[in-house]
Amino acid sequence: MRRNLRLIHLLIKYKFSRMMAFRVSFFGAFLSDGALFLIQLLTFEAVYSQVDSIGGWSRGHMILFVGTFSMINALNMLIYFFGIVDLPGKIRRGDLDQYLTKPMNPLLRLTFENVNPGSFPLVILSVLILCYGLSVAGIRVSLGLILGYASLVLLMTLLWYDLELILRTIPFLVISADGIMRLEEQMLQFSFKVPGVLYKGIMRLLFYFILPYGIMSTVPTQFITRSLEAGSLWAAVATVLFFTWFALWFWRFGLRKYQSASS
Amino acid sequence: MNHILYTKGLTKEYKRFQKEAGLKGSFRALFHRTYETKAALSDFDLKVEEGEFLGLIGPNGAGKTTLVKMLTGIIAPTSGEISVLGFYPNKLENAFKKQYAVVMGQKSQLIYEMTAADTFLLFKEMYDIPTEVYRRNLELFADLFDSREYLNAQVRTLSLGERMKMELITSLLHNPRVLFLDEPTIGLDAPAQRQIREFLKEVNTRNGTTILLTSHYMEDIRNLCPRSVVLKEGRKAYDGGTEELFASFQTHKKITVCYEEESPFILPQGCEILEQNGHKAVFLCPKERSGSILAQLMREIRLLDVSVEEEDISVVVEKIYRSHREVRA
Repeated sequence: MRRNLRLIHLLIKYKFSRMMAFRVSFFGAFLSDGALFLIQLLTFEAVYSQVDSIGGWSRGHMILFVGTFSMINALNMLIYFFGIVDLPGKIRRGDLDQYLTKPMNPLLRLTFENVNPGSFPLVILSVLILCYGLSVAGIRVSLGLILGYASLVLLMTLLWYDLELILRTIPFLVISADGIMRLEEQMLQFSFKVPGVLYKGIMRLLFYFILPYGIMSTVPTQFITRSLEAGSLWAAVATVLFFTWFALWFWRFGLRKYQSASS
Repeated sequence: MNHILYTKGLTKEYKRFQKEAGLKGSFRALFHRTYETKAALSDFDLKVEEGEFLGLIGPNGAGKTTLVKMLTGIIAPTSGEISVLGFYPNKLENAFKKQYAVVMGQKSQLIYEMTAADTFLLFKEMYDIPTEVYRRNLELFADLFDSREYLNAQVRTLSLGERMKMELITSLLHNPRVLFLDEPTIGLDAPAQRQIREFLKEVNTRNGTTILLTSHYMEDIRNLCPRSVVLKEGRKAYDGGTEELFASFQTHKKITVCYEEESPFILPQGCEILEQNGHKAVFLCPKERSGSILAQLMREIRLLDVSVEEEDISVVVEKIYRSHREVRA
């Protein structure tokens, strides 16, 4: 464990050094990701500024929902997205060879070798939206509420990681999973624009348990607005635990099928 | 005897998707998939002792890289037995990975945007190399390669030869017991190839590192590997001394004669002309007859100059690859 933490620390340090080797890219990343956030913010504002209540959710709830999405997205981009996004390419090109032959967990290395400090402003700005949402919704916060919410955001960030990993592990088994990646993109866009509370029946089953994009932003929002039932909380935690187990199992299963690439 | 590398009946098969050309073929393949099973390596036996320097040769697609990938654990065999340093490689245990290193000529393990020294430090942590061992090895290898000046230069600014030297240093910092080299001199110029060969010879002799080398450059194999394994179409065609292998295929000598123009040159019987003009002839003659043929020429024409060379190594390699005869030692 200590060795892994030391290696993660080193990978993050190296990523910073690499970024600083190209000064323009280092500052450019802050600027480009910041601009991306502003565009996102404006888009959501345009959509929701005229809506007071959807499915029982007030404007404040909706801003918190948007802020939560923004935060999970920012953490995803900050920590692991750029590490695992090219996993299908690495599998196809045989680049995984270099990871498998080194005495470090290849998944750990892939996950943390491309942290993106350029996404940090997104975290700050997500906090600002959340503060704004809390004030609009008139919610008084306590330390317990913040800690519980933060834990759920981290848990949902892990769930997003699980889903990204599962989809990007499929190329171990098939030639191309490009179509599935596009489907993932559409599901994410849909789920982060439509709160999970609006899903009913089969849609609820699909977006909560089978492809649980629906709970990612919804559950932490319900928690901070004190509208989350205990049963839903435990169901969400169980879902994350199951998908984490499955993602790791599927990764190991995929590795056994890895054929590298001809030289 | 305990072998550091051992395989028995090792086989690796791939399933290849087959499809007829064109849209019709693609449509048909949607509903009726057909696969062809291709054996990249078949029934392969190998025993290597600690400290050996083994050459692995064969044409493209012979199974060399597949074998290296199975020995390093990158891919799993379809069937057969395999043991490297007492481990089953595809279990990918860290205890196993810390005892070997692999250098692939076409795939870099260096961090391109950083210096080689930065990659060395990452490897120091990954392999848990004690600081003293790390410093000693780094000094030793940098001296052997005379490459101190490159250590702090960004990898992307290094030439191919300099980069390969850094690759080799990276892979040897943790004192691996086995070193797998897949085409380490590919694309390098002659001086860089020679430097790398000398370095590898030194590592093998000084540290007793077992080295398995695949290369298309026969100079690498002849200079470094007392023992060679020839692979053809996924099967072992030869396993034995490298010199014996070349001797059995180097059946001709190349003779160049320069003579006075008025002397008519008549090609001796059983020889093959490669080049001829008014005062010079280059021909191949059977190795065992080269002496008598030279004597005959000296009697018949007024020679100005003569040179006798071994048959071109590329020709010999082609013969080995094309040969249908079993040359198992």
